[in-house]
Amino acid sequence: MKKIYVLIGNFGSGKTELALNIAFEAASRGKTELIDLDMVNTYFRLTERKKQIEAAEIRLISPNYACTNVETLSVPAEVASAFAEDWDTVVFDVGGDPAGATALGRYHNDFAALEPEQLEVLCVVNVRRPMAGTPEKIISLCETMERSARLKVSGFVNNTNLSYATTEAELRDGYETLREVSQRTGIPVLYTSGKKDVLEKFAAEGHDSAYVGRLLPIDIYMHRDWDSFTKLGK
Amino acid sequence: MAQILMKGNEAIAEAAIRAGCRFFFGYPITPQTEVPEYMSARMPEIGGCYLQAESEVAAINMVYGAAGSGVRVMTSSSSPGVSLKQEGISYIAASELPCVVINVMRGGPGLGSIQASQGDYFQATKGGGHGDYHLIVLAPSSVQEAIDLMGTAFDLADKYRNPAMILADGIIGQMMEPVELPEMKEYKVDPEKKPWAATGWKPGDKKQRAVINSLYITTEELTELNERLQARYAEIEKNEARWETYNMDGAEFVIAAYGTVSRICKAAIDELKQEGINVGLVRPITLWPFPKQAVRDAVMADGVKACLTVELNAGQMVEDVRLAVNGAKPVEFFGHAGSLMPTAEEVKEQIKRMREE
Repeated sequence: MKKIYVLIGNFGSGKTELALNIAFEAASRGKTELIDLDMVNTYFRLTERKKQIEAAEIRLISPNYACTNVETLSVPAEVASAFAEDWDTVVFDVGGDPAGATALGRYHNDFAALEPEQLEVLCVVNVRRPMAGTPEKIISLCETMERSARLKVSGFVNNTNLSYATTEAELRDGYETLREVSQRTGIPVLYTSGKKDVLEKFAAEGHDSAYVGRLLPIDIYMHRDWDSFTKLGK
Repeated sequence: MAQILMKGNEAIAEAAIRAGCRFFFGYPITPQTEVPEYMSARMPEIGGCYLQAESEVAAINMVYGAAGSGVRVMTSSSSPGVSLKQEGISYIAASELPCVVINVMRGGPGLGSIQASQGDYFQATKGGGHGDYHLIVLAPSSVQEAIDLMGTAFDLADKYRNPAMILADGIIGQMMEPVELPEMKEYKVDPEKKPWAATGWKPGDKKQRAVINSLYITTEELTELNERLQARYAEIEKNEARWETYNMDGAEFVIAAYGTVSRICKAAIDELKQEGINVGLVRPITLWPFPKQAVRDAVMADGVKACLTVELNAGQMVEDVRLAVNGAKPVEFFGHAGSLMPTAEEVKEQIKRMREE
């Protein structure tokens, strides 16, 4: 059965990193397609990892003109292959604001034709991002993105991080904020994700599993080349 | 305060607000658009003014007007947009007004690219607009430093009644890093400290009318303005040069670099050290005033054979490095124009080549 994951959320929440991790894991089990549907960002995008993605025998669909000097990207016709072709897993990585989520709206009928268990729309949350740091902001962002995307969020992913400086305290704050969001909206927390060591420390703290969901250990793909840049200036 | 994860452009905007900036006039252009986008959401929350002007030319002239009233005001743009602002910047400098201009540089010349560049060093440090004036130019190399330098930029602009520029490359604007923000600062115009500010005059006021002007009717008056400006620039050069050095002990070569490129060079220096090759770094933080003496001292240190300047352009700061060293030791250049980022590997190859020569 085809399974489609759609990752939405504020930019900086870690959607691209999660999309890569979900796709690499899925590719070890079956036919996988990864769709870079980020029409907003011009730097640090999924398509920059094209070689690595294709080496894992994942089909990558990128917006026209991605990673060039053109900022007016356009949605390629090949996105339709997500629905028309026979895949085990398809992952959509979507632009990090309501404008970015609008790109999904065009596929409303295709998504609606799926069986409910075939689709997971995940709202990725990083409470260390200033525009997504409180329950109010997360709920408002989630509702606006649902309207733009014409999709209902299936659940949240607690991916709270400070890039290379992430500790279990980040995941703990994300857990506490999302617990409140989940209680207020009725939307479950489906996953908690982070680098393996951080995730293990967080899990050992013994939180209510209803607001932790499945633990999703991730590897970092997006920053590896940038280690040299991210050494602090002082 | 706890650390948060911020994109450089957002961090620049929030740091400006926390430094007391309540007026922002700008126009979108990649890769700095998150600055006006953030300001458009944030300014109404704190009773500030955000206005998207009809063009960069209009935006800088709105800055000119607001600066004349003594408030903390800023604009931001990227390379082609900053070119459009140059006339206004020259007027603001001539009118002796403080303000902050952000340039998140992209590739040039012309419309160029939307990827990162350091191609506007000449424009920022050598004038840009017409006439004998200087901007105070600050070049951050991390998102945290961009935050810290925003406060410095507003303070220096006020202290010297002169526009200040934050010159960041596209990477600084676009990358996300964990940061700490300073406390919020409310800025009130103090008429004692800013007697020149045009804040409204009524008949009967003892205070002389404040006039914001850059037109001088007689050559004598214009000469007087220029002498005053030049004396002030000399003062800024004497007091405000800022730089960082890295791994200078026992260095065989010195690399001069700023912004994102300096971090790539630091990575190269760390890797070379593992191979037993000791290379130091001098990183100008103020590009104007250029830290001449610090650069000269680094290159002239005992044991240093030569200097390598690395930039994301065809070679601009290298001219100031050469002036500072004044022929006493060789100064070489390595860089790429066209937004192709130099890599640590390439920098290492350059140093190894210089070692063999």
